[in-house]
Amino acid sequence: MMHFDPMVPFKYWDALLIGLWMSLRLTLICLALGIALGFLTSQARRSRFMPLRALATFYVELFRGTPVLIQLFWIFYCLPLLLGFEPGNFASAVVALTLYAGAITSETFRASLKSIPREQYDTCRALGITGMSLALWVVLPQALLRAIPTLLSNAVALFKESALISAVGMADLMFIGSSISNRTGRPVEMLTAIAVIYFAVAFPLTRIVGRVEARILRRLAV
Amino acid sequence: MAQDKLLKIHNLHKSYGDLEIFKGLTLSMDRGDRLVIIGPSGGGKSTLLRIVMGLEDIVGGDIYMDGKPYILRDGAKTKIDRKLQARVGMVFQHYTLFPHLDILRNLTLAPVKTRGMSRAEAEEKAMGLLTRFGLDAKAHAYPSQLSGGQKQRVAIARALMLDPDLLLFDEVTSALDPELVAEVEAVMMELAEAGMPMMIVTHDMHFARNIASRVVFAAGGVVVEDGPPEQVLDAPQVARTREFVERVFAKKR
Ligand SMILES: Nc1ncnc2c1ncn2[C@@H]1O[C@H](COP(=O)(O)OP(=O)(O)OP(=O)(O)O)[C@@H](O)[C@H]1O
Ligand SMILES: [Mg+2]
Repeated sequence: MMHFDPMVPFKYWDALLIGLWMSLRLTLICLALGIALGFLTSQARRSRFMPLRALATFYVELFRGTPVLIQLFWIFYCLPLLLGFEPGNFASAVVALTLYAGAITSETFRASLKSIPREQYDTCRALGITGMSLALWVVLPQALLRAIPTLLSNAVALFKESALISAVGMADLMFIGSSISNRTGRPVEMLTAIAVIYFAVAFPLTRIVGRVEARILRRLAV
Repeated sequence: MAQDKLLKIHNLHKSYGDLEIFKGLTLSMDRGDRLVIIGPSGGGKSTLLRIVMGLEDIVGGDIYMDGKPYILRDGAKTKIDRKLQARVGMVFQHYTLFPHLDILRNLTLAPVKTRGMSRAEAEEKAMGLLTRFGLDAKAHAYPSQLSGGQKQRVAIARALMLDPDLLLFDEVTSALDPELVAEVEAVMMELAEAGMPMMIVTHDMHFARNIASRVVFAAGGVVVEDGPPEQVLDAPQVARTREFVERVFAKKR
């Protein structure tokens, strides 16, 4: 049996870095698109138009209630059929993770919209602030502010879930790390190294969530 | 027209589901009046102010402002004249400032976004009001950094930004620590001396006596007694009022 050699992963640091960059890029793109999609979806779920509300609810429940891995395969096989051409792995991965991110962030926005006290709406009506002014200057900023801590948690979750795209052959951190481990026969060292890298990115973010949350709660404690 | 009342509530009916709150309440108010409304808990004092503010549907009756129809029941719908509504302001028990905006922006938001006032003009006016209430140093603080008494004074200043012709106060000192009540009441007394028409709901009988030009005892969905504070609070004519006032004063002692 081979002994544990912690130096193995360091020989491949450049390849791992390229993988990490792919994971981060994908996470950031899908997070940005997912937040926009999530906000629109949360609005659609409050719509007075029943079919729109039903569609939005169906989408959210479907993507929250099924394994992300299956969503990925499903998008990778179905998207080319739906589009009539091969969109490429990166585009498919973006679509799949964006749909997932949109579903989870829409729930975040739904909760933050609900947490705005009724009295804020009464006060606005008493001040003549209605319609677009109410939405734009009072509701949206408070909903965003209240959503920030959970959105950061969503970002961490998305970053970790993005490891699943290695299963469909995307060269992310997980994919590159495991192919090196196969080639070198050093799975323990390589997988540990990958975990450490994921942790090194995710941990500071989860710590920031706590800080930001405390600050925002203090601000909103009126 | 000079003889028109500032506010005239005629035969007001209001229910929440099966619960009848007002059963033909009639009440009017002159321009120089400061009305204090007293009555049992759950009797509809908050509801009355919310109706006058235009925040509630009514079941029947009508409300006039300066002789013009303000709130009417028209078939199955409550009709509210938005122009007249804009002349009424309200201060709530829990201040409800905008937590995401600093104090200055709390004051300027409504005039700038809905009245078309320029930002510079609104800020000048806001600073004037904040200075008058001793809050100018807090212009750039956020609501969460203020005491309850300061927050409530900001809420009053925010309502004054729109130059209301009638200001409604719903138990604005009830949520405050006792030592902070006086600073808010002082601001209200100052407004009273400046001639601001007000409708005030309060449990503080001492303050009621000081600020009221008229006290209205409402119970059972109607006005039971209506007169100067010396009458309603000290020598009530109606047995029901006497009972209520005695009980409230007994609790104080
Ligand atoms: N939105 C609502 N839906 C149903 N019932 C309501 C609603 N708002 C108030 N009520 C009921 O109407 C009644 C009158 O309420 P209101 O708040 O006007 O009383 P109040 O005189 O202000 O009482 P308090 O002195 O306790 O503040 C109460 O029984 C209350 O439970
Ligand atoms: Mg009340």
